[in-house]
Amino acid sequence: MDSLLLTAIFLPFVGIPLLAVLGRGERSGWWAFLFPLVSTACLVAVAIGTGGEPATLRYPWVPSLGVELTFLVDGLSLFFGLIVAGIGSLVFLYARAYLDGHYGGHGRFYASLLFFMGAMLGCVFAGNWLLLFVFWELTGVASFLLIGFFHELPVSRSGARMSLLVTSGTGLALLAGLLLVGQAVGSFDFATVAGADFAGASPFWLNTVALLVLLGAFGKSAQFPFQFWLPNAMTAPTPVSAYLHSATMVKLGLLLVARMAPVLQEATLWGPLLVLVGFATMVLGAVVAFLANDLKMILAYSTVSALGGLIGFYGLMERGEVSGDFVQILSHVFYKGCLFMVVGIVDQACHERDIRKLGGLRRRMPWVAAACAVAAASMAGMPGTLGFISKETLLETATALAGNGWGRYALGCTLVSAVLGVAFSLRFFLKVFCGPLTPATETIRPPSRVIRVSPLLLAAGTLVFGVFPGRLDALSAWRVAGLHAPEARHYALWHGWSAAVAISAAIWIAGFLLYRLGERLEWRFTGVPAALQWGRLFDRAMEGLIALCARITRATGAETPSHYLPIILAVIPLAVGTAVATQGTLPLPEWERPDLLRSVIALVIIASVCGAIFLKTWKSQLVSLSISGFLVSFYYLLYRAPDLALTQLFVETAVLVLVIFLLSRFARAAQRGEADDRPSPSRRGVNLAVSVLVGALAFASVAWVSGGSALPKLGPFYAANTVPLAGGTNAVNTILVDFRGFDTLGEISVLVIAMLSALGLLMRVRADAGRPPEPLPSGSREEPGQPPITSPILSQSSLALFGLINLLALYLLLRGHNAPGGGFIAGLCTAISLILLHLALGIGAVRAMFRFDPSRLAVAGLLLSLLMPTLSMFGGGWFFEHFAFHGHLPLLGEIHFGTAFFFDLGVYFVVVGIACKLIFTLASSTARFPLPREEVCRYAAEGETTIEPSSEGGASC
Amino acid sequence: MLIETAILVGFLFGAGTWLVLQGSFVRILFGFLVLSNAANLLVLSVSGDPSGKSAPLAFLGAPYVDPLPQALILTAIVIGFGTTAYLVFLLYRFFVDFRTTTFDGAREKEEKP
Repeated sequence: MDSLLLTAIFLPFVGIPLLAVLGRGERSGWWAFLFPLVSTACLVAVAIGTGGEPATLRYPWVPSLGVELTFLVDGLSLFFGLIVAGIGSLVFLYARAYLDGHYGGHGRFYASLLFFMGAMLGCVFAGNWLLLFVFWELTGVASFLLIGFFHELPVSRSGARMSLLVTSGTGLALLAGLLLVGQAVGSFDFATVAGADFAGASPFWLNTVALLVLLGAFGKSAQFPFQFWLPNAMTAPTPVSAYLHSATMVKLGLLLVARMAPVLQEATLWGPLLVLVGFATMVLGAVVAFLANDLKMILAYSTVSALGGLIGFYGLMERGEVSGDFVQILSHVFYKGCLFMVVGIVDQACHERDIRKLGGLRRRMPWVAAACAVAAASMAGMPGTLGFISKETLLETATALAGNGWGRYALGCTLVSAVLGVAFSLRFFLKVFCGPLTPATETIRPPSRVIRVSPLLLAAGTLVFGVFPGRLDALSAWRVAGLHAPEARHYALWHGWSAAVAISAAIWIAGFLLYRLGERLEWRFTGVPAALQWGRLFDRAMEGLIALCARITRATGAETPSHYLPIILAVIPLAVGTAVATQGTLPLPEWERPDLLRSVIALVIIASVCGAIFLKTWKSQLVSLSISGFLVSFYYLLYRAPDLALTQLFVETAVLVLVIFLLSRFARAAQRGEADDRPSPSRRGVNLAVSVLVGALAFASVAWVSGGSALPKLGPFYAANTVPLAGGTNAVNTILVDFRGFDTLGEISVLVIAMLSALGLLMRVRADAGRPPEPLPSGSREEPGQPPITSPILSQSSLALFGLINLLALYLLLRGHNAPGGGFIAGLCTAISLILLHLALGIGAVRAMFRFDPSRLAVAGLLLSLLMPTLSMFGGGWFFEHFAFHGHLPLLGEIHFGTAFFFDLGVYFVVVGIACKLIFTLASSTARFPLPREEVCRYAAEGETTIEPSSEGGASC
Repeated sequence: MLIETAILVGFLFGAGTWLVLQGSFVRILFGFLVLSNAANLLVLSVSGDPSGKSAPLAFLGAPYVDPLPQALILTAIVIGFGTTAYLVFLLYRFFVDFRTTTFDGAREKEEKP
């Protein structure tokens, strides 16, 4: 049973990378359809296996912290889980036909949908509150990806952003509530929390927790005042609306309330708040659904209304006495999913969603009309459909509890929204499918056979359960102790003459009359009133917030470094100085006699940095700065650090080349303009003072901090153990690759991130800014692609030099573990050889020679470095344990070989990749050499183009 | 302590700060380069006096200089290269957008649309 449940939950996650990569074509829909089918099958097997008895699966994760992965299988989770997986299968089938050839990016769509399904299943089956919260947020992320699927449309982007902000914001409130509970109980496990006794807790605390948790539930289920995100999420493709925003994700609020009800029932705020907000939203949603004209808006607001009724339903009943909730959820899922799918079919066929412009579609799509008729009847609560059973249940409960004030309020709201529901259901079906054909519906293609299957199945389900409600008694096997009433409920079509029957009849008549009234007035009053379009208010509030932040930034001068840097840089030495001065006087550190060579080199470094400050032109400043950099490399040698010296040498070269490319692109006028722009004398005084302060702090740090201290140091341990523990004689390299290998892994990730960010800077200029970017004043080169240095000696010898330098790089790489060298140094060496080639032959020739994209090399290197330590876990060691092999080969003699080499190889690839990518891109850009289009499009979003309009027409992606 | 290293590090930090406080982005770039060298030297100085000790290679025999600061500085140098590259690209983009290399010039261009 364990493996079945885990397969059901985690198989969708496995499917994500598969579909994202493979799912380019339209056939991927069938492959994607397999995943929810398998999940559903597994869950059915689990349901049959456990038979409604609760079971918990625990997997220890961090036993020392008490963190474990817990999954709870009980009636509630099985019910929701089967809904998620089952409706998921139907939605995938529908999406396969819906996306057929109309849209691109199928793989991305199915991957996101699978991500959502996996996260949803995880949330439903979670047995630990924190685990539930993690999956809760993951469903929000998946919803963001899916709503913003058509990301070129601004309205999609703003809808996605709104949904994410609202659900995540309320999710934070939920987290606060969960943390409070967890702290009080001492654990986040469901069973422990449910068993804890809250009778002794202060009512204020209980009410606070209840309020926080309910905020989270209201946000996710789009209740007042958060109801505005759901209609704005209707920019998503219709399969997404059918799945997320009617059947599954918005039901998470209900799940949360159902799970929390036994725990928080003691809070006096719990029941009343649920009832108040839920039923108020029910009426609000029904009113707006009645007024709306867009088909999807009608359904969105009717979903809000139905959810309000469901959430209020949980608030009406005491814990341990809930019954009938499953039927209501099931009925809503069936009819809402079906109606959304119908809307999608109509929208695709007629390209029209305004209800006033549609009509007579039953002549064109009779099967779809039949499905819609059943679903709309269920929405109105007509007998023979599941909706009737659920309405009856709700009315029975409301009338039974009409004794107290809340019950009467609930009953009143239910009646009002039911009447409105009948009216807009009638309008929905009759207007779209009956009546005369309109211009939009005259000439349409009939929908494909596949796309009709899912709505028909859902409609059939509604009918079957509506006509044979006795089948629903099986649901009572899934009652949860502590929440549901112990007696099973019996469902039947006819309970005998009762008040509920009379009320239902009255509702139908009133609703029908309301519909007729609307018809008489020709629906002139419809249209969602502007006062209720809170989505627009939200967007404007967001923009206002951003503008406010920009204004604050500008006012505090936080945009120009010359305003805020002096403050930061002055405070640090002053703070350290006063802290030290209050301690009393420090003894002067003892100092050795200055070494001659070191002093000379230090003096020359100081002189060259002074040159960088005082020389006039940028190029001369850069040259003297480079002198200082190379001499620092020599200084490292004097400190007995050969690895450092090599690294500094190569990095200085690469930086020199990079900055030269940059400076060559600037117009001469820029430098002259800069010379005129001198800061005022007072400004210069301040700068001088700050520099002196910082310099003094640095001097003091070296003076007092370096040198021996009584504390034991870690370095000598590494130096002493480099051979016995790590198998290499170069202590610096073994620290990087073995002892502190995890840090190195982080560092090469940083390098890749820096590369991607830098490329993003260069590649993106909005093409819709009105005018294309003006070409920069030409640099030193006239023709793009020419080698920067035209020297026959260099161009003849460059290839040979390239080979020699790479031989050196290989040597440095192989000996790194035992002598100065290693992945970083070898990588920089190879990068330098490629720079040399580029300087001699020009960017065009180099690109023609090496057709691969260096950034792919960098990512491959990162994966290789990640792979090696993980493999050692499978070999029986722990993460990052390196294994060494010693052997004797016939010709080559003794071989010492370790897996640390492959890690270093990964580092090598990363360094080569990023250095080449960055330098070549800058060189191409500054030489106005056209970059291959697919490479540009990989880093640019659609509609953007490169900074330098390439000769390929600057076409956008 | 080694007085020449102390003076060198102090001066480099002062010079780097002076450059970073200028209004021109190119000077800030140069200041950044000086500051990263200075910071590396500061960390290196923590390892103490290297005279009489050998490089941290096992075949050279004890006593060794402290290898841990050297390992930290090595990655610092390479990441400094990555960050410098990012800064260079940022300056390039800045110049393309504003056609000037000073912050005041950029603000003027922003204010008159």
